[in-house]
Amino acid sequence: MGQAIINGILLGGLYALVGVGMNVIFGIVKLTNLAHGDFIILASYLSLAVCTSLGIPPLLSLVIVIPIMFFIGFFLQSLLVNRVISRGPEPPLLVMFGLSIVIQNLLLSFFSSDAQHLPTKLDTRSITITDQIAIPTLYLIEFAVGILVIFLLYLFLRRTYVGQSIRATSDDTMAAKLMGINIKTTYGIAMGVAMATAAVAGILIGMGNNFYPTTSSIYLIISFGVVVIGGMGSIRGTLFAGIIFGLALLLGAYFFGTSVQMLCGYLVILVMLIVRPQGLFSK
Amino acid sequence: MKKWTVGSMVRIIVIIAVIVFLYVMFFAGSRNAIRILLSIALYCTLGQMWNLLSGYAGMTSLGQQIFIGLAGYSVAVCTATYGLPLWLAMIAGAIVCVIAAFLLSYVFSRMSGMYFAIATWVTAEALKILFKSWGFVKMGAGMTIKVSPYPSTAQIYLIAVTVCIVSMFVVYFILNSRVGLSLVAMRDDAGAAASVGVNLFRTKLFCFMLSAGITGVVGGLYYLNQGSIFPDGGFGNSWTIAAVFIVIIGGVGSMTGPVVGAICYVVITEVTVKIENYLNTSLLGVNLIILGAIAIIVILFLPNGIIGTIERKFDFEFIPSKRHAPDIPRNAVTETQKK
Repeated sequence: MGQAIINGILLGGLYALVGVGMNVIFGIVKLTNLAHGDFIILASYLSLAVCTSLGIPPLLSLVIVIPIMFFIGFFLQSLLVNRVISRGPEPPLLVMFGLSIVIQNLLLSFFSSDAQHLPTKLDTRSITITDQIAIPTLYLIEFAVGILVIFLLYLFLRRTYVGQSIRATSDDTMAAKLMGINIKTTYGIAMGVAMATAAVAGILIGMGNNFYPTTSSIYLIISFGVVVIGGMGSIRGTLFAGIIFGLALLLGAYFFGTSVQMLCGYLVILVMLIVRPQGLFSK
Repeated sequence: MKKWTVGSMVRIIVIIAVIVFLYVMFFAGSRNAIRILLSIALYCTLGQMWNLLSGYAGMTSLGQQIFIGLAGYSVAVCTATYGLPLWLAMIAGAIVCVIAAFLLSYVFSRMSGMYFAIATWVTAEALKILFKSWGFVKMGAGMTIKVSPYPSTAQIYLIAVTVCIVSMFVVYFILNSRVGLSLVAMRDDAGAAASVGVNLFRTKLFCFMLSAGITGVVGGLYYLNQGSIFPDGGFGNSWTIAAVFIVIIGGVGSMTGPVVGAICYVVITEVTVKIENYLNTSLLGVNLIILGAIAIIVILFLPNGIIGTIERKFDFEFIPSKRHAPDIPRNAVTETQKK
C-alpha cells in the first residue's frame, strides 16, 4: 500500500508531463489534440533511432529530439491546423485525428509492431528505504524531470515575451491581434512547445516502459485524464491532476490487479466529466 | 406537393436501378463481388449513422465501437451461451445497444463538443478492458458465434443491403421531418433552438439511440460474417477511424457522402491487400496511412467532402435532405469569447 502510494505520486509527475502538452494546446489553440499520444510515441521512436545510431544514453538524446519535435510541431501547426482553425472546432479536431492515424501507421510500417525499449540501466535500480518500501530510481528521475519541465514551462509562459504573447492570445485572441501579435505564429510556437514536452515525456516513457506504435492511445487517454482533472489551461492544476491520476492507477492496480488498472483511470475521467467537467483547479 | 421535374425522375430511376442491381447481385454476383459489396453496405450504414450524429446532430462521437462491440458480443453470447436462434440474437444485439445508448445518454447529455468526443472514446476503451477481463465473455480469448445452419456470405449480404437501404430511408425521412429541422437548429445554435421550443435532450437522445441501434445491427452482421469476436477488434478504434474517414471523404452533412466514402474506403483497403499479395510482403497499416492522408487533404482543400463539393458546384443534391451544413465559416474568435 505504502509502496503503491509512493509509486503513484512519483508516476504522477510523469503523467503530468504527459498531459501538460495537451493542456497547453487546449488552453491556447482551443484544440483537442487527438494526436498527442502519437507525438509522445513518435518521440520515443526518434530517441530510439538516435540512441542506437550514436550509441548515447536516452537522456542525452533529448538534445537532438527536442528541437526536432519542436519543428515538427511548428510546421504541422502552420501547414495543416492553422488553415482550418477558423472553421470552428470540428475540422482541426479531425485533422489531428487524421494525423494520429498517419503517424501511428507510419511508425508501424517503419518499426513494426514489436515492443521496443530504450537502452538504459536505470530501470532496474532502486533506493531501499525500509524492508517493504523501495523507491525505483527511474520513477524518481521521471518525477523530478516532470516537475522541472512543468516549472520551466510555467516560467516560460509567465516571464518571457513570447510566453506572454501566447497567454495574451489565449485570453483574448482579437485584442492580442490588435496589439500586433501574429496569432498563427503564436499557435505554431505553442504547438512546438507542447511537442517539446511530448518529447521529454516520450523519452522517459521509453526508458521505463515497453512501447509500440499502438500504445499511443493509452497516453492519449492519460493526457485526457490529466487535462480533465486539472482543468483546461491550468498548468498548476496539471501537476496535481497527474498525481491524482497516478494514485488512481496505482491504487487500482493494488486493490484490483494490474489488468484493470487502466479501467480505474477511465472511471476517474468519466466521473470527473460528469461531476466537474471544468476540472478541479480551473478558475 | 412537389413537382415532378426531370431531375427528380432521373433521381428516382437511378435509385431504383441501384437497389435492383444490389439485389440482383445476390443471385448473379461472384463470391468476391458479394464480399466487397457486403463490406460497402456495412461501412455505408456505419457512416450514415456517424453522419447523423456528427453532421446533423452535432455530436462528434469517437466511440461508435461501443455499439459494434456490444452487439457483436450480444450475438455471440445469445447464440453460443444460450443457444438462441440467430434472428433473436440479432434483435437482442440491437436492443442491448439501444438500452446502452439510453443509459449512456444520461451521462453524455451534459457534455458537448470535445467533452462528448473524449467521453465516448474513454467509454469504448473502458469497455474493451472490461470485456478483456470478464470471464462470462471468455476474456481476451474471444467468442465464437454458433448457429446452425450458419448463414452464407450471400445471405448475410442480403440482410446487410436491406439494412443499408432501410437506414438510408430512415435518415432521409428524419431529416425531412420536424426532428430534422430541430436537429439542424440545435446544431447551428443550441440556445436559440431551445428558446423556440426544441427539446434538446429528447432530440439528441432520439438520434443517439437510433444511431446506436443501427450501428449495433452493423456490428452484429459484421461479426456474423467473421464468425468470432475479440475485445481488441470489437471495441477497437478502427471502427471510429472508418466512420470518420468515410464521412469526411464523402462529405459531412450529405446523405450521398457516406456512400461514396464507403466505396473509397473499401476499394482502398482491397487494393492494398491486392498489392500486399502481389509483393508477397505485409504492408502494415499502409491503407490507413493513405486514408489518413486523403482525409487530411480533403479537410484542408474540400471542406464539404468530395460529394459535397460537387453538389455545391452544380447546385444539385442527389438525395435532397433540404438542410445544409452552414456555409458561413464560424469564427473561432467568437467561439472562444463565448466562454
